[in-house]
Amino acid sequence: MKSILKKITLAISITGLFCNISAAQDQPKATGKSEATIGLSYNKKADSKTAVAVVKVKKDGRFVPALNAKVNFYAVHDKEQQLLKSASTDNKGRAVIELQKGLPVDENLASTIVAKIENDKLYENTEEQMHFKEANLTLSLNPADTAHLVTAKLTEMDKDGKEVPVKGAELKFYVQRLFGSMPAGENNTVTTDENGIATFAYSKNIPGDTAGLITVAVKMEDNEQFGSIESKLPAAWGTSLAIIKDPFPRALWGVYAPWPIIITLSTLFGIVWSIYVSIVIKLFKIKKEGGMPNV
Amino acid sequence: MATEKFDLKQEIETLREDCLRPTRTFGRSSQIWVGFLLAVMAWGIFCYIRQLRYGLGVTAMRDYVSWGMYISTFVFFIGISHSGTLVSAILRITKQEWRRPITRSAELLTFVSLCFGGIQPIIDLGHPERILNLVMYGRVQSPLMWDVISIMTYFTGSTVFLFLPMIPDMALCRDRLTVVDTRYKKFKKWLYTKLAIGWKGTKTQWHLLEKTMGTMTIVIIPVAVSVHTVVSYIFAMTLRPGWNSTVFGIYFVAGALYSGSAGVILGMAAFRKIYHFEKYLTPRHFDLIGKVVLALTLVYAYLNMNEYWIPAYKMATAEGHLLSDLFYGNYSKIFWTCQFGTVLIPIVIMSFPKGRKITPLVITCIVIVIGAWVKRYLIVVPTMLHPFLPIQDVTKEWSTYFPNYVEFSVEAASLAGMLLIITMFSKLFPMMAVWEVEEGIEIDYDKEVAVELGKQRIADHAKAAAEAVKVSNGQLKQPA
Repeated sequence: MKSILKKITLAISITGLFCNISAAQDQPKATGKSEATIGLSYNKKADSKTAVAVVKVKKDGRFVPALNAKVNFYAVHDKEQQLLKSASTDNKGRAVIELQKGLPVDENLASTIVAKIENDKLYENTEEQMHFKEANLTLSLNPADTAHLVTAKLTEMDKDGKEVPVKGAELKFYVQRLFGSMPAGENNTVTTDENGIATFAYSKNIPGDTAGLITVAVKMEDNEQFGSIESKLPAAWGTSLAIIKDPFPRALWGVYAPWPIIITLSTLFGIVWSIYVSIVIKLFKIKKEGGMPNV
Repeated sequence: MATEKFDLKQEIETLREDCLRPTRTFGRSSQIWVGFLLAVMAWGIFCYIRQLRYGLGVTAMRDYVSWGMYISTFVFFIGISHSGTLVSAILRITKQEWRRPITRSAELLTFVSLCFGGIQPIIDLGHPERILNLVMYGRVQSPLMWDVISIMTYFTGSTVFLFLPMIPDMALCRDRLTVVDTRYKKFKKWLYTKLAIGWKGTKTQWHLLEKTMGTMTIVIIPVAVSVHTVVSYIFAMTLRPGWNSTVFGIYFVAGALYSGSAGVILGMAAFRKIYHFEKYLTPRHFDLIGKVVLALTLVYAYLNMNEYWIPAYKMATAEGHLLSDLFYGNYSKIFWTCQFGTVLIPIVIMSFPKGRKITPLVITCIVIVIGAWVKRYLIVVPTMLHPFLPIQDVTKEWSTYFPNYVEFSVEAASLAGMLLIITMFSKLFPMMAVWEVEEGIEIDYDKEVAVELGKQRIADHAKAAAEAVKVSNGQLKQPA
């Protein structure tokens, strides 16, 4: 009996200890600051290059975005760090800076960026670094009407400043929509060949705008060497969108009421309210009459 | 004739004094009564604030029953508001002389029941500020919009209809109450002067007043009918078992008139007792309005039969489930009690002259008014619990409904608010239209005078004839 009790006590103590440990991990440290982790990525689009730091903290056993964390971004060159910019995290825990041209590169033509949280009021010091190489993604459309082919070519610069194809990179093909990107097909991923080329045939019945235009988008997402790159190109491949002149006909179930209802209601209640108005006018007459001397 | 003239003046003077007396006092019992009503209101407001703070979850309403006690009470109050139209407008149009002492209380009942009926749908909203969406984004083709428009129109009309016959009485109050030492003299003087709008009782003023009252009497009837018809449309135009009825409009109007007229009797009896209006609200008045209530109850019973008998004959699937629940299911006790206790038995009682005596009539009307509320509850709640798609896999709390303390408290506060306004009104203004009752007394007096004159003339004629016979007989007896 005693041994059973001992075992139970031990089990409870161990469980309690673990609970305390996991709870302690969730708790802010003695300094009152939370321990944060940084995820760093490089994004290249047609018009911009950005470094994105996603900062998270552990709360109740889950990672949640860290708000208002000040992140300093440094470029590393010959082991020296040069501050590029600082940014604070938003409600998604994202701090974004735009990268200018001419970032220092190492002998492999790779740039190194370090993101740091330093002396922040809310979070402990932490840092993360990434290396990435510059790559170019160019798109071209098949001029023939027979097939809606998009050819994407991925290249990088060699040490001599020449463009060389990137082989074996996964590219994804999309159609740009108002609030996001729509995959161009069920399997929209194509790997580049030895020429750095990936080709994808778009469907012929993709709805476009009123002129039948769609925007073709090709992305390389979270590549280990090159980060994320996106390139877009308009194509007159979509089916034209016919604008309905009156999408909400006047109906009982529609947005606008049928005219007969408006006229009937306005007439009936208009009559009643005009009578009310006439009564108020008469009341004023009674009042006016009261102001006159008695005869 | 001189003595009779003096009596008429005396009678009118007594009437004026009797009507104005309640406005001069605010005794201990009145203070206790007002304090009690304020306490009930304060508790109700506290509960409503809780509802605002924590959401409609503090009530017994859940996903299936989103229209519970609040909407039932809304329909009930709008129904009661028909009292003013019926008693005042219809009896005015038909020139019923006995209407005179009861029109004011009927019109007041309309006004207050509309005040508190109109806010019920807002109370039913988790976010009351969203009522503004009806104004900003309202769809003219929606029955809810019709409801808002017609209730606003009826409320405005009823306020004017209440105010118009008060003008000469306000002048009376202005001239009488302010000369004696009363409490809040300054305030009352200001109030009566404003409300009397310079009334002097000139010929032109009387002419204008009669004209406006004549117009309002005609206009208010269709407006009142439209209000309850539109309230019924909110239900009838929703695709739900039990509400899919073509007679709902007239059924609601008849139900409103039936409960409204019963409400008027309760008001009459209360004021008669409290303010000693026995001289003016006689058993004859109760007998006559009792007959009106009887007639309306018969119409209501007929429509009630149509409302349930026709779908019961078919027992179509979804409707059948609802009717089964009403006839011999969860709601059967309350349903049959309502049908027999508040419709059929009152018909039997009021069919006999003894049943239209004050005490039995008042008891019957209390039962009718309570029954009218229960009937609204039976229209709203069982239907909500019988949607076309069966309720499955939900907790018992969701598939049943009985109002909880929050709803009862808020509704008690609404009722207390109504009674408070009526009480304060009766402490400020005469509860009978003094000039109208005076007019009635004068008409009665004129009739009496005419009868007296007629009698006098007949007697004179008879006397003259007798004289003539005497003379002619004398002449005959005289020697040639």
